[in-house]
Amino acid sequence: MSTRKQKLIQASEIPSLLADWLSDGDLLALGGLFKQGRPCALVRDVIRSGKKNLNLVSSPGSGYDVDLMIAAGCVAETYLPAVTLEDRMCPSFRNAVETGTVQAHCVDALSVVGGLLASANGVPFQPVVAWKGSDVPKHNPLVATIVCPFTGNELFATKAIKPKLTLLHAQEADCYGNIRHLATMTYADKMMARASERVIVSVDRIVSTEDIVARSRETSIPCTYVDAVVEIPYGAHPTGSFPLYSIDEDHIASYASAAEAKRRGKEGGAEALQAYLERHIFSPHDNGMYIDAVGGKPHLSKLEKEAENL
Amino acid sequence: MSEPNCHAAEIQAVVLARELQDGEMGAAGASAAIPMAAIMLARKTHAPNIEIAGEMFVNPRPKQLWDSMLDDRALGSCEAAETFLELFGHSHRGLDFFFHNGMQIDRYGNINLHFIGGSIDKPKMRGPGAANISYAGTSKRFYICTHAHSTRTFVPKVDFITSPGYLNGPESFGKSGLKGGPKLCVTPLAVMDFEPETLRMRLKSVHPWSSVEEVAANTGFDLIIQENVPTTDLPTMEELRILREEVDTRGILRKV
Repeated sequence: MSTRKQKLIQASEIPSLLADWLSDGDLLALGGLFKQGRPCALVRDVIRSGKKNLNLVSSPGSGYDVDLMIAAGCVAETYLPAVTLEDRMCPSFRNAVETGTVQAHCVDALSVVGGLLASANGVPFQPVVAWKGSDVPKHNPLVATIVCPFTGNELFATKAIKPKLTLLHAQEADCYGNIRHLATMTYADKMMARASERVIVSVDRIVSTEDIVARSRETSIPCTYVDAVVEIPYGAHPTGSFPLYSIDEDHIASYASAAEAKRRGKEGGAEALQAYLERHIFSPHDNGMYIDAVGGKPHLSKLEKEAENL
Repeated sequence: MSEPNCHAAEIQAVVLARELQDGEMGAAGASAAIPMAAIMLARKTHAPNIEIAGEMFVNPRPKQLWDSMLDDRALGSCEAAETFLELFGHSHRGLDFFFHNGMQIDRYGNINLHFIGGSIDKPKMRGPGAANISYAGTSKRFYICTHAHSTRTFVPKVDFITSPGYLNGPESFGKSGLKGGPKLCVTPLAVMDFEPETLRMRLKSVHPWSSVEEVAANTGFDLIIQENVPTTDLPTMEELRILREEVDTRGILRKV
């Protein structure tokens, strides 16, 4: 009797999947938005794998993880509308763009979302009418003007964006790759899964397929769009994975201070940033060691409590 | 002059709250503690039927104000949660009101969040960029709300138009197909509006702790300044009570 193939993998298998599914110079898409639902554990794997010259796309708002990849020297170009830690700018992004080591393409939410939507729907572009007066479409490499075949009016087209690989983090999945977000906000995760060639999803916990079937309307991304799913508790840390754990603002601030010190050329700044990368990315051999490095279970319980009390 | 009873961010929230009309639909955007406070205060005072929508979430019910209003800390409880799949549906319909902050703002209310000095490809200083810039073209009006009022922020002409205000004035604005435009610019020092004929920024009122001279000295272009500029109305005791006890329970606006 034949059995259905599982998409559940072990965390130790991630490096070989990255070797197969992502090459230097490829377009990589990252899920979540700003400080929520970012696939941070998977991003650390990408950094450890030593990828170079990656092109990054995300939902319209990104910050910490993108800045980290730039700090680690993995990125050549970005298609990211807003890059910020919200209460402060992203130091490594800013530094890389100002010194010319990263090219930050001038894109906005409609061009990125439109491009992903076109790719998800299998068409070469998405028509856009809502741009007026801004300089962004003029410098946006994804945008061209077209003529409506029905009215003859001029409008914009934004080019389909097809990531080679999308990395997402959600709260639950079954072993076949049916993903269930418990968070209220899921941003562009569903769309990126549909737009991408390959999709890897980390989840905080694996649940039974019976549980998925019992609440099928809550499956946010069906298994048909998912290539691999991996259980990584706290896999979004230091971003939040609601309702399970909240955002580790202090951790993000400590990264930002080190990166900002390096950007300003302060004495010890480069060493502080390197020490951050060593401590959180290169030294930990598994997720348990990473959790210990960021303060262990007692620290993460505080973030769980904060999420619980919202 | 009466003694100021509030912090700068609180007067900004109250000025903006009074602008919002009952039954309107609007959104607050990123890094939007002051705009979200304004919307929530308006709903609890004169405008209970304001709908917050357009940025994936409908009528969020945050228990307190947060520095960021775009994650589940603020949005976990809401009436409907959408995704970016629905973005185009919202963008072409537009909103009654929304809010912008800016790294540079010019006399016509144009906003730059991209770069200062150099070019977009080789910037001297690169800013964060912006997510949704489409509402400027489809919404009825927007408000500019800043955390600082300085000649660094208020410049004669922005280096780059991330989100358009009145462009180069009435002629270019008329040709652009833009609707609405900036209604007010609210800073920690003052409230500005735009003169109807020229669409140039004009001083409307000065907060109790500032002066016409201070505002002019911290603005990098000639503001239109009429005689007898009034002092910004302070929050009423009731507005301040609701703001502090029901909206901003953690005192985010008092920390700014």
